[in-house]
Amino acid sequence: MSVRASMFFHVLKRGLLGRGNRPLIAFIALTVASTMVTATLSLYYGLENKLNRDFRSYGANITVAAPEGQSLPTDAASHVRSILGIDAIVVPFAFAVMHTSGEEAVVVAGTEMDEVRRLNTWWSVSRWPNGDDEALVGARVESHLRLTDASFDLDFAGQKFHVRRSGMLKTGADEEDRIYVPLGTFERLTSLRPSLLEISAPGSREQVTAVVAQLQSRLPGMQVKPVRQLLQAQGAVVSRMRSVMFASTLLIALTVALCVFSTLTSSVLERRRDFAVMKAIGSSQITVNALFAGEALTIALCAALAGYVLGSGVAAWISQANFHAIVTPQISVLPLVILADVALALLAATVPLARLQRIEPAGILKGE
Amino acid sequence: MFLRLLYQSFRRQQRRKLLAGFAVTLGVAVATAMIAVGVDVGDKINRELRGYGANIVVYPDDQALSVRVGDQELKPASPGTHLKESTLPNIRGIFWGHNILAFAPFLEEQVQGPSGTLRIIGTYFDKPLRFGTEEFSTGVEKLYPWWKVEGTWPRDSGTDVLVGSQLATRLGKQPGDSIALSRLSMRIGGILTTGGSEDVAIVAPLALVQQLAHASDAVDKIYVSALTKPEDAFARRDPDRMTAADRDRWYCSPYANSIALQLREVFPGARAEQIRQAAQNEGTLLSHISGMMLLIALASLIAAALAVSAAMATTILERRQEVGLMKSLGATAPTIASLFVSEAALLALGAGILGFLLGDAIAQRIGQAVFHSSVAITPVLLPMVMFLALLVTVGGSAAAILRALKLDPVLVLRGDA
Repeated sequence: MSVRASMFFHVLKRGLLGRGNRPLIAFIALTVASTMVTATLSLYYGLENKLNRDFRSYGANITVAAPEGQSLPTDAASHVRSILGIDAIVVPFAFAVMHTSGEEAVVVAGTEMDEVRRLNTWWSVSRWPNGDDEALVGARVESHLRLTDASFDLDFAGQKFHVRRSGMLKTGADEEDRIYVPLGTFERLTSLRPSLLEISAPGSREQVTAVVAQLQSRLPGMQVKPVRQLLQAQGAVVSRMRSVMFASTLLIALTVALCVFSTLTSSVLERRRDFAVMKAIGSSQITVNALFAGEALTIALCAALAGYVLGSGVAAWISQANFHAIVTPQISVLPLVILADVALALLAATVPLARLQRIEPAGILKGE
Repeated sequence: MFLRLLYQSFRRQQRRKLLAGFAVTLGVAVATAMIAVGVDVGDKINRELRGYGANIVVYPDDQALSVRVGDQELKPASPGTHLKESTLPNIRGIFWGHNILAFAPFLEEQVQGPSGTLRIIGTYFDKPLRFGTEEFSTGVEKLYPWWKVEGTWPRDSGTDVLVGSQLATRLGKQPGDSIALSRLSMRIGGILTTGGSEDVAIVAPLALVQQLAHASDAVDKIYVSALTKPEDAFARRDPDRMTAADRDRWYCSPYANSIALQLREVFPGARAEQIRQAAQNEGTLLSHISGMMLLIALASLIAAALAVSAAMATTILERRQEVGLMKSLGATAPTIASLFVSEAALLALGAGILGFLLGDAIAQRIGQAVFHSSVAITPVLLPMVMFLALLVTVGGSAAAILRALKLDPVLVLRGDA
């Protein structure tokens, strides 16, 4: 290393470490700024996933129905599961009209209880069925047919069977008019197979629409339909929130940039005497500029890294507190933060330097 | 003398004041905009979610169980009781009437079509109604914004009908064709796609179906879309077992359950239930979004405070020589401090009002661009924001003022500090 270069680094080091708390203030300002920007950007990127996940609690976003009066192929449910992967919830339903001992007609549905419980989290159920012969009774069935006994008989095509009532189902919709029994029991007794699949596929509106198209080509003859009201509401809310978050991120970034800019500018201006001394003892304009830029660069890089770590922490804390979900730090944010920090620091150093260049060092040293 | 100093300070240091003022203006603007948007976003998203459809249903208490599998009605509807159509406008008169965004009545009937029995559903499309002196219109066009009609929506007073898309394909019908229903010929206004069971049915004006069913003034079901407050533990309590004060509070909160109760009071002998799929999930989503926006608003508040105090500190540190001069001329520390504080306060008030107006404009821009509606700004926000601006500006200057006062005037004036 030449003498010149080693001198340069020596002055740079002294400038960063040996001058009280001035570089520290710049570092803190930049770190706070990077923390804020990292946090909002991470939340911005993670928001869409979280909202899409929230919308899944509405239940099925795709239905697959067999043509009128037919059932689905035997392997339909497992076939769909293998296409969509483990993230999707696939619930088969089979329906039959049965009669109670009071000769009242009622719709009985067979389904997989564990799966339907995962799919329709809004179902209010007093107790979920455990055993094979347990049934979930809709609230209106219970009040109309007075099925309040612990067990009752159902009659299907002259064949009687006995079920135990496990609990009552409240939804405020058509489900209250039905009795739900485990699918295995239903198939054994009626030898009817499922005619409907309710599917909750993960992802955005566009991804779900793509899944619908995929299922349509893989299940010819079946009616594969998106649940339009759900997807439309989801698309609208997600895109609106994305825009609002974008505007917020922009405003916050603008404000913190302003804060950093004024702090850095003043810290350079305060050092006009250093600047004047360096010029007076013969260093070139380029060297002085490089020195200030090197300082700004070092501080900016350290601040960007520290801010990234802190900001990811803040973002993780917010999503934990608000969405009860863990966000993984967004690596894609890091280069953005570094770039913004460096650009900001260099810009903040350039403006006052350009102003100082026009002044004679002698004037500064005399204190004018 | 003090006032003259203050006046001269603003007159002579315009560039510096402009910079500090700009920082305060921007900071207040960002804080105002984010608080306004953050507070309002819950209501906006709530309306957006109401596009999901109804969240409350009203039907006669003794309505028979529906026995329908898929699209087949397996038991002819028994002549149960009906709700009265003439009572419908009173829905607007309930305590939370203004939270009712849309509602639509439904009456179903089986009719003889060209090939077997068909389901015909009577409803309002966009029916003008009057409650007291208030005129409004409601119907499925508002209640179910995802219903897609190819052709034109029928008029509620006309005899045009909509045919479900699957049914239309089966019958080979186009918009403009006519269809024979129970020996009457009706014009098809449009083809309806909903993704639900209406795709295999006919949807007609309510009056027409009442005529076919020989049931004037009759309605089977009313679907209501209301703006509600997310359900909490208090909302789930049984109003009959509350104290009078609690019950009043429950009744006067826009919970889905309390709006359902108020609807029940309008229709004697009816049941009103929240549709849990819509009502329950909305709450989680809304609380997530509002919580998120409040945190973001808080973050922008912190950012704004930082920006303002940094700018103030910078402008004061640049004026060390002035402080030194004043001190050497015999000004006491409190005098100098009060001069700087008054300057900061004036700046905060002036730039704060400007910032509030700018923030208002930014909030409206966001509202228009994102939600196509204006953002409500509560008047309370102005004093709140002004107070914060004052606090941050003066607070941000305080540390710098103290630092400037501690310096030895001799050193400052020689330029050594």
